[in-house]
Amino acid sequence: MSDAVTTIAASAMRLSVPLAFAGVGEFVAERAGTLNISVEAMMLSGAYAGALGSSVSHNAALGFLWGAAAGLLIAFIHATFSHRLQANTFVVGLTLNVLALGLTNYLLEKIQMSPRQVGVVSIPLLSRIPVLGKPLFAERWPAYLLMIVVPAAWWAVYRTRWGLEMRSVGENPKAADVTGVHVNRRRRQGLLVCGVLAGIGGAYLSVAEVGTFNSNMTAGRGFIVIAAVIFGGWTLRGTLAGCLLFGGVDALRLALPALGYTINSELLVSSPYLIALLAMLFFARRVRQPGALAQPFERGAS
Amino acid sequence: MTPSTPVSGAGGTPLPPVPALEARSLTKCYGKLVACDRVDLAVQRGEILGVLGQNGAGKSTLMNMLLGLVRPDGGEIVVNGHPVVIADPVKAASMGLAMVHQHFSLIGPLTVWENLSLGEKGRIDADRTRRHITEVARRYGLDVDPDARIDHLTTGQRQRVEIVKCLMREPDVVILDEPTSVLTAAESVELFLMLRRVVQEEQRAVVLISHKLDEVLHATDRVAIMRSGRVVADRITEGATAMELAREMIGRDVSLRGGSAAIGHFEAPADTGRETDEAVPGDVQPTVLSIREARAVGPDGRTLLDGLSLEVRRGEVLGLAGIEGNGQKALGDLLSSVLSLSSGVVEVAGRAVETGRPGAMASAGVGVIPEDRHVSGCVLDMSVADNLVMGDLEAVSRRGLLRRRQVAEQATRLVEEFGIAVSSIDAPMRSLSGGNQQRVVVARELSRSPQILVAAQPTSGLDVGAIEYMNSRLRRAAEEGTGVLLISTELEEILELSDRIAVIHRGRIVGEVTRRQVDLDRLGMMMGGQAA
Repeated sequence: MSDAVTTIAASAMRLSVPLAFAGVGEFVAERAGTLNISVEAMMLSGAYAGALGSSVSHNAALGFLWGAAAGLLIAFIHATFSHRLQANTFVVGLTLNVLALGLTNYLLEKIQMSPRQVGVVSIPLLSRIPVLGKPLFAERWPAYLLMIVVPAAWWAVYRTRWGLEMRSVGENPKAADVTGVHVNRRRRQGLLVCGVLAGIGGAYLSVAEVGTFNSNMTAGRGFIVIAAVIFGGWTLRGTLAGCLLFGGVDALRLALPALGYTINSELLVSSPYLIALLAMLFFARRVRQPGALAQPFERGAS
Repeated sequence: MTPSTPVSGAGGTPLPPVPALEARSLTKCYGKLVACDRVDLAVQRGEILGVLGQNGAGKSTLMNMLLGLVRPDGGEIVVNGHPVVIADPVKAASMGLAMVHQHFSLIGPLTVWENLSLGEKGRIDADRTRRHITEVARRYGLDVDPDARIDHLTTGQRQRVEIVKCLMREPDVVILDEPTSVLTAAESVELFLMLRRVVQEEQRAVVLISHKLDEVLHATDRVAIMRSGRVVADRITEGATAMELAREMIGRDVSLRGGSAAIGHFEAPADTGRETDEAVPGDVQPTVLSIREARAVGPDGRTLLDGLSLEVRRGEVLGLAGIEGNGQKALGDLLSSVLSLSSGVVEVAGRAVETGRPGAMASAGVGVIPEDRHVSGCVLDMSVADNLVMGDLEAVSRRGLLRRRQVAEQATRLVEEFGIAVSSIDAPMRSLSGGNQQRVVVARELSRSPQILVAAQPTSGLDVGAIEYMNSRLRRAAEEGTGVLLISTELEEILELSDRIAVIHRGRIVGEVTRRQVDLDRLGMMMGGQAA
């Protein structure tokens, strides 16, 4: 039994890592006031570019840079359209999501590639702790980056001037503007941060976890990430808890057949989304979202 | 950043002092509307300049240009004798221009120190910012807690934070935008004493934007009066009378009596006019609206209404006076079926109405002219005709289909009856002036012959002509038998129109007087929450 627990826990961790990267990014973007739905496109293109990059450079680690760059590119497009040209952020996000899906499918057919996979790094001693050792301390090495990314994001958002300005444009852009904060610049930056992290999260799927790229590899994980931020009440801690929860549900889904339970597989596939909906049902009303979430800002418009 | 001394001539002979801030022929147009028309204005160190004007006279546009929020179309801004271009608020701050904003410069969920640390540069140092706040607050005798969250503060406290925020940057020029609109009389006096110190002891320049005559008379050294985008007078305040200023502000062709509600002319409570109406014996008329012990809590847990009770009778105007933010909005929401009560009863014409159910109040006979008519009073992108019939689509439709001809007939009739200036009934609502948009809302609400008409801040943002029309229309509605509930923060407007006056404070009615008993001091005390 403890074997099964270890397996499921390990799988839950593995499945949570890409969500966590993207979740931290989405948290930053949403605190700055962008309800960024193109996080799905960022992850998907990150996954594709990660695979392509590792194949071209024969180096799995470089794949992550490619993934980050692809996420950044999507973020740049999104930011330019919605926080420079004032296009509706949801229209832009939806368009990017569809575009990323079509484009990666097309490129997948056009370009032959042989992606690499990064290795597992087991931390000596710690990884031998019973039950929890393997899930926590025997991961593909980019997972350990989270130990830097999460505290860094927390510090940047809650302790730096940049972060204070970021939160202020998410809460009340008008007030921030008259106080001398560049509202749309901060919002663009929030999106760019999200792009890089979601790109890495996507690349983790292809280059670390699976070792290749499949069509529509993210399969809505971007939306799960948005749900995780809502579930977490727009706090970093809560967002990570949400990512872990949804990763865990996903792991259970994979493990149940192996444990001998048979449930309709179509239903099982939808379970993380169902849980996400339920989570929002219970949590979305209880917490305060950033005051100006998803509201565009244009100076002089009242 | 400290105020510099005036530039001296080469030979040591002092030149005439260079103004701290000067606007030269500053012009701004919005489409055809000239918001500011070659405005010349200068303020010296050590003086308080009042900028007086009605709503829409161009004061806000002028200040927005000085602060870099709006780009001028012509003219120049001169700071300490040097022409400058002010691209954004950061640039304005770096030139020593700072503003005490009335509504939108603080961020609710952040603490005081976090708010005041915004807009600075470099690393965040909470302790240094806290010390700085305490020091500035003490210097000006303001009581501010650096660790309080903004959304837990009262409006008066928030304004103190705004002032500290402004003064922390040690500005040469302090601009205050309608600073007393949320303050009690006592708080206003305190504010002006403090401003006097700012100019006298620290040689800063202060610009006080206001539409209230008495406060400009009491608090300023010099006054510039704006009307229709122009500076029409610029004079020393001493020796001026309210009457003279009022005349400049509203133009000579408008009678002072009619305009008194608009200009905040405080000295003559509106005992002029309708003596004949006093004959209507109020208590004989049946009650059309009765609210008893209404309690409501906002989504954030704040108490909105705290046992509010009031009655409006047929054919009377009940004026609801009070300082902004004391539950007026909640009352308006309640009567628009937007807010539901946690306890209490609302009765319209003797029948209890379910609160919070969309349309319940309207079908019970409550008409509402909402405070924010652009947002909830009309649909700007739909036609005038659509807006006019929107209140009762049953009347112009059959079997769920709109009858275009009936819509057009009804709209044309209302356009004529209410004198709405419009090129065609199919013109978009957006193309109408503020006054005409207001007429559309009034026409729609009155066309349904409501039992009770709620008018929330009905004249805010309107010009004098539109205000006069609005006031006469409300009076006429009352004479025709509608009960009118006038919710306004402008005491003058209430004094002008009401048969009875109730005062709201913190979500409840704290006192009520009839028109004949009006005592301004007592009203002021009640509005400030003091038992009178």
